[in-house]
Amino acid sequence: MPEHVEVAARRTLAPLLDLDIAPDELDPDRDLAADYGLTSLNKVLFLTSVCEDTGVALSRFTERDVARMHTLRDVTELLSSHAGSSPRAEDDAENEAAR
Amino acid sequence: MESIINAIVAEPPEPGHRLRLVELHGTQTIGLPELHETAGRLAGRLREEGVRPGDRIGILAANCLEWVLLDLAALRLGVVTAGFEPGKFEGDGELLARYDLELLFTDRGEAAGVGGVRAIKEVGSLAEAPPHVAEPHVAGPPAVRYEPGDVTTLKFTSGSTGQPKGLAASVGSIDSSLRAVQEMFQHGPEDDLFVFLPLSLLQQRYWIYSALRYGHDVTVSTYEAAFMAMRQTRPTVVMGVPGFYETAKKHIEARADATGVTREEAARRLFGDRIRYLWTGSAPASAALLRFFGSVGLPIYEGYGLNETCIVSKNHPGAHREGSVGRVLPGKHVLLDEAGAISVRADFPVNTRYEYARPGESERMFGPDGTVRTGDVGHIDEDGFLYIHGRADDTLVLDNGKKIVVRPVEEAMKADPEIAECVIFCLGQSRLVAVVSPARTPADEAAIAARLAQTNAALERDERIWKVVIADPPFTIDGGTLTSQFKPKRNRIHDLYRPEIHDSDRGIHA
Repeated sequence: MPEHVEVAARRTLAPLLDLDIAPDELDPDRDLAADYGLTSLNKVLFLTSVCEDTGVALSRFTERDVARMHTLRDVTELLSSHAGSSPRAEDDAENEAAR
Repeated sequence: MESIINAIVAEPPEPGHRLRLVELHGTQTIGLPELHETAGRLAGRLREEGVRPGDRIGILAANCLEWVLLDLAALRLGVVTAGFEPGKFEGDGELLARYDLELLFTDRGEAAGVGGVRAIKEVGSLAEAPPHVAEPHVAGPPAVRYEPGDVTTLKFTSGSTGQPKGLAASVGSIDSSLRAVQEMFQHGPEDDLFVFLPLSLLQQRYWIYSALRYGHDVTVSTYEAAFMAMRQTRPTVVMGVPGFYETAKKHIEARADATGVTREEAARRLFGDRIRYLWTGSAPASAALLRFFGSVGLPIYEGYGLNETCIVSKNHPGAHREGSVGRVLPGKHVLLDEAGAISVRADFPVNTRYEYARPGESERMFGPDGTVRTGDVGHIDEDGFLYIHGRADDTLVLDNGKKIVVRPVEEAMKADPEIAECVIFCLGQSRLVAVVSPARTPADEAAIAARLAQTNAALERDERIWKVVIADPPFTIDGGTLTSQFKPKRNRIHDLYRPEIHDSDRGIHA
């Protein structure tokens, strides 16, 4: 797993939870909603921010992928699988596909 | 006066504007004239399949182009839509029978294909132009013509218990709301209105109707793509609710702190750089929230209305007063009784009764002439601005006869960053108990206790909170303790925390 994805995810998630917990103290296997109290809208914003910080286009995922991301590990593993693409390719993917 | 609904079903819109549908994996863009034409073809196909004026079709799906096409096709045919919010309703054949539907279009894959349940993705092929049609502009059946009392859609109220009640919305109420909003906000060719809340909520479809009638762009996204879509499409107006803006505020503050950019810049990065204003409604927004967005250069306008009344009042660039929910719209009349209880009479009521409701529910909400008893209390100032003090049923009467409006007490507790929500109940007509949803888990009990002491210090004796129960888990939509508009469900919360509320040994005592 590219380290920068996990680092970015932890750094983004910790302040969003408003917990007195350092990014590296977050348990990757705890449920983001049930254990950390992350609302569905905050989860969307968290993913949007991590994607932006890591250069991974959110458009790589579907709404169902998002629904399946329950833990920090789910998020970092899914993002890491796309983190090797070049930033330009990701930007292009994010552009509109007009129909 | 011209009916906006009649106008948009009868004539194609002027070219030059578009509807965009943003999902995570891509964006579809369709010109408004093409949208009108495609909806006409779909209307023709539905009619060929036996759907007739007055019939009802259900739609249970996340926001998508097909949702919009079905809604517009139904308008063309005089067919009533019933929009079901995903997560609140199941996509099974039972909905067909329960709500008298001819067809139910759904994106819930497991149900499609059963009886009249159809996959919403079929709409694409139904609406396709046959290759032999030389004049696509003549596609579709002739549009129906509506009278003000005709209904176009069945809304559902966010009931706290039991099955949601139905409320059929009249053309007259839709027309008058759209007309009043246009007068206030002057949406025009440079505008792009952004919608991400479910299209099953009629008001979210207003902005599509507005685009067709008044000529502007409109962007609809899925819930999951909302923030990505704002960045990509740079809307000029965002249609949201307080819960959405609270989340955005938190993000803007965190990003500004983490990156060193100003809050104004962090806000621009989130909402885009073209925002003209932010719309909020459906639930009360805190004064701190409204001030925050004003301070980062994003004007936000709060209004007031219920499902049963549609928009009653709205702040807007031409008439805005802090703390108020704006002036009352033309065609709406706010009636206040001696205690400040608000009733609303409309020249064109949404309706005068519920459908699929228990006996007596319609009579409790609607007066004989259709006047709506809102259950809220408030006042109107000398310049016509409406202020909401709270719910009439939030007014507790203690055994000593003292009346207490609990909303200001709840707001005082919610001003603490450790408290996301606060709902107050009355125990034995003498003691107030607050159920608090913490802003984080585990809850900071010390901070909540400190806020309890601080709140009580500013209150009269009878108004003081006796003890606090901390909700675990915090209130959520999924947990059934918040409505889809992020409002606490009081009855449900009371049911869940009844033992803690009534056991004098439990909770944080003042």
